[in-house]
Amino acid sequence: MSSHIALQLAGCEVWLLADKAIYWPEQQTLLIADLHLGKAATYRQLGQPVPHGTTADNFLRLDQLLQRYTCQRLIVLGDFLHARQAQNTATLQALGDWRRRHAALAITLIRGNHDRHAGDPPPALSIETVAEPLLLGPFALQHEPHAHASHHVLAGHVHPAYRLHGRGRQSLRLPCFVVGERVSLLPSFGSFTGGFTVRAQVDEKVFVVGDGGIWEAPRSGS
Amino acid sequence: MSLASAWFALRSWKPFAFQKEVWQAVKNGESGLLHATTGAGKTYAVWFAALNRFAKPLPAAKPSTRPTTRKPAMAPLTVLWITPMRALAADTARALQAPLDELQIAWSVGMRTGDTSSAERARQSRKLPSALITTPESLTLLLTGANARATFAGVRMLVVDEWHELLGNKRGVQLQLALARLRQWNPQLIVWGLSATLGNQPHAMDVLMPVGRLVQGKLPKDLLVDTLLPPGIERFPWAGHLGLRMLGQVVAELETSSTTLVFTNTRSQAEIWYQALLEARPDWAGLLALHHGSLSREVRDWVELALKQGALKAVVCTSSLDLGVDFLPVERVLQIGSPKGVARLMQRAGRSGHAPGRPSRVTLVPTHSLELLEAAAAQTAVAERRIEARESPEKPLDVLVQHLVSMALGGGFQAEALLAEVRSAWAYRHLTDEEWQWALAFIRHGGHSLTAYPDYRRAEPDAEGLWQVPDARLARRHRMSIGTIVSDASLSVKWWAKGGSGGSLGSVEEGFIARLRPGDGFLFAGRLLELVRVENMTAYVRRATSKKAAVPRWNGGRMPLSSELADAVVDKLGEAAKGVYASPEMRLLQPLLAVQASWSALPTAHTLLAEVHKSREGWHLFLYPFAGRSVHLGLASLLAWRLGQGQPLSFSIAVNDYGLELLCASPIDYTQVLTPALFNSDNLLHDVLASLNAGELARRRFREIARIAGLVFSGYPGAAKSARQLQASSALFFDVFQQYDPSNLLLTQAQQEVLRQELDVQRLQHTLERLQGRTLDIRLVKRATPLAFPLLVERFRESLSSEKLADRIKRMVQDLEHAAGPGGYQADTDARFAIDDERPAPRKGRTPRQGKDGRPRT
Repeated sequence: MSSHIALQLAGCEVWLLADKAIYWPEQQTLLIADLHLGKAATYRQLGQPVPHGTTADNFLRLDQLLQRYTCQRLIVLGDFLHARQAQNTATLQALGDWRRRHAALAITLIRGNHDRHAGDPPPALSIETVAEPLLLGPFALQHEPHAHASHHVLAGHVHPAYRLHGRGRQSLRLPCFVVGERVSLLPSFGSFTGGFTVRAQVDEKVFVVGDGGIWEAPRSGS
Repeated sequence: MSLASAWFALRSWKPFAFQKEVWQAVKNGESGLLHATTGAGKTYAVWFAALNRFAKPLPAAKPSTRPTTRKPAMAPLTVLWITPMRALAADTARALQAPLDELQIAWSVGMRTGDTSSAERARQSRKLPSALITTPESLTLLLTGANARATFAGVRMLVVDEWHELLGNKRGVQLQLALARLRQWNPQLIVWGLSATLGNQPHAMDVLMPVGRLVQGKLPKDLLVDTLLPPGIERFPWAGHLGLRMLGQVVAELETSSTTLVFTNTRSQAEIWYQALLEARPDWAGLLALHHGSLSREVRDWVELALKQGALKAVVCTSSLDLGVDFLPVERVLQIGSPKGVARLMQRAGRSGHAPGRPSRVTLVPTHSLELLEAAAAQTAVAERRIEARESPEKPLDVLVQHLVSMALGGGFQAEALLAEVRSAWAYRHLTDEEWQWALAFIRHGGHSLTAYPDYRRAEPDAEGLWQVPDARLARRHRMSIGTIVSDASLSVKWWAKGGSGGSLGSVEEGFIARLRPGDGFLFAGRLLELVRVENMTAYVRRATSKKAAVPRWNGGRMPLSSELADAVVDKLGEAAKGVYASPEMRLLQPLLAVQASWSALPTAHTLLAEVHKSREGWHLFLYPFAGRSVHLGLASLLAWRLGQGQPLSFSIAVNDYGLELLCASPIDYTQVLTPALFNSDNLLHDVLASLNAGELARRRFREIARIAGLVFSGYPGAAKSARQLQASSALFFDVFQQYDPSNLLLTQAQQEVLRQELDVQRLQHTLERLQGRTLDIRLVKRATPLAFPLLVERFRESLSSEKLADRIKRMVQDLEHAAGPGGYQADTDARFAIDDERPAPRKGRTPRQGKDGRPRT
């Protein structure tokens, strides 16, 4: 079981991490997508009970990643905040505390559909916010997975998950990376986010993550 | 003279003894349960009892000097009439109205269901009718009104129609709670349940009332059960055919009677049969109709009306026509495939022969050879009236949580008083203080883990301890979510029309549509349709030009064979083992049973047959406890787990209603390991939980619980967009709760419901105890026997696409037939339609995924 798989993508080495992020060693950059901070709080405010702990878990996992890999920069491929209700004091407080612990880290947010509704994070957090696409090296970094004319797209939005079938009646649905010719997808990073089951096209590879490991999914039907 | 006697005299009818008994009982203020079959006159038994006691005829109209059109003032709300299906409400209303007009009683009859128009609702909010016909959901909804107490305090009598339909499920529990509330307001409330045949009438009565009188209605009408015998049988049956090979014979049967109901077990099967019948007899276009729960209301109404008028030759239907008013013209009932239970078969048979002097007749149409066995068994079981029992669920907490919020809306509640009231409902008679405290905490803070969160509150007590819902938005959302029926996300199907949508055809499950591409054909509402596009929770279609079509598969769980019917099946096999073939069905089955007996043995009530077989795939064990699909699933997992304790082995499992298969890829000597200890029922609960992917099953069960308890909000109708930031799948909730609030009682409930309902642990325990008393009869077989073959196919079904499957099965049948020697019978296959061919979801380009509401998924 490995905690990352190194991959040549558009002539560039990137690591797909079991922790649902991409590490780009050459740029010392960490890419994550779909954090959906404050989603549980939004639910509670609208009268839906959700237990505490998901936000803390998000930051804990980010901390671990930043500790393990040398990072100059963190780029969020959209949907950083879940909704306007996420701009409440408790969530922003937690976010601010976390930001202070990583003051040297440059953070860029590519606005996703949720961010457009939630509004940009407060300037005090010094999170640079840009519209998609953000062109960086051979990649077009986006929230939505539209193909780009010249660059390989890395995107979020879909929350891809893949169903593995075992013997008997066993099956397991796991978050996954989908790596294609022109467009590749990241799994959603947030602790309180769902997944959308995808099937691999002929020219795509699927990497599932779970229990601290990452595996290439076997081709279905073979 | 009482009103009842007057009305009966008016039409020179003589009341039945049971009707008089009910009238007398209600006169004395007694409650009770009336057991009678459909069409026996039970409606008038209770309705006249109510009128006798509570209504007065109008004083004879004085010859007035000037004509007046003013209507007399109608009596206030006095009788509540609960019906399980809103479709029945209109017919009940007509039946109740008839005597009022003739006897000049100043009572009004009204309906309140999910279909009631807003104008009618507004009228009712000013004044409710004297007798209100409603469903359990709508009753609870009415009880959430702020002045519910004033509105309902005058109710004197409550009637529950078709109580057997509600007794065993959460809708019945919801009714128990509503009833507890009404009793609180009027301790003298008279309650009557009307029920069809049940194996446990006294329990049905206890759940509804503390004390009551059990009234036995007119004995069931003559019931004729017979079988449409095919010309020959396959010796290696599999449950994949849809029985279409019987089409010719079914058409011939339909020809001989004026109006026939053709019952199928699934909606897909109904669609296919309707299509096939039309193809066989195009001249019956307009005389054949289709009726199932996913068709639009208008379509169903039209069919029901035409059926009543006798304008139809036949209706292909599902359980959607099990209940309800009599369709007098119906002469025959056909049942395609196994009826799965004795009570269900009798209920369906009862739909026919309502005209005086005609018997009820149901004809079973077997879809594969082993169903002949079930047909023979069903006949005996019906004749001996071995009828299944139904039990009320025990304290489902999700229903309680929902009820608490409802009651907080309905004028608020004091915790102490409501606890006593809730405990007076049968299902909650053993509710513990801890569970009660948890439920209160859950609606106040969302469970213990949310205690610190100030923003969340659904209901909370004020300074005087009165619990209320503080937020009007939450109140509105709760009212919209009342109910315990949980359906899958479904899309409505509409005609595609330029510049807007055309008429509605009904609804299909989202998962089915997701597998189709625009341009693909599918069979729905009796038509071949072509998918045009999907948007905003609607699938737009047009008439298809091609002939190839997929048939939607709706997720109605497959019903297991009831113990009563299963026992009768084993009895029949036992007779066959002694060479007794008493009925035409059994005689027709003789070739199959002969192969079974010569290659292996016939199961009996004293033996447990085990077949051991080695194939290229691995080491097979086939076991035949005849305990129904859900018990076999639990048993198979349990055996696999216990076998795996000694040595590391992994098994594939297949089950059907008759038995189970364990397949091991590595060598295992079943003859050695099959010991009595394996079937020990000690430590059952522990072992079952350990053996199963119990988490996965609980996750599925949690879906329903989350929805009822208000964890998941299914959205405002037609406004999916505005609630979008609230839509999350119950699976996600399950994971989050399990990780961050593992002691949540709703999770515990999910696990218990898995044990009780999905796996039927009680029946599993009972089965194990019975199996211990039997002699193990182990046979080494060279190839799959007629009983084992359906299990083999069942397992392939899991892993292969249907087209590949059909080819493979055909080859296997040929090999087995060859081995079994002469005497086989080859029927045409009926692979004209593929059911839900599991083709991968298309992914064109890289457009953003669409969510359930047609918007990009996020």
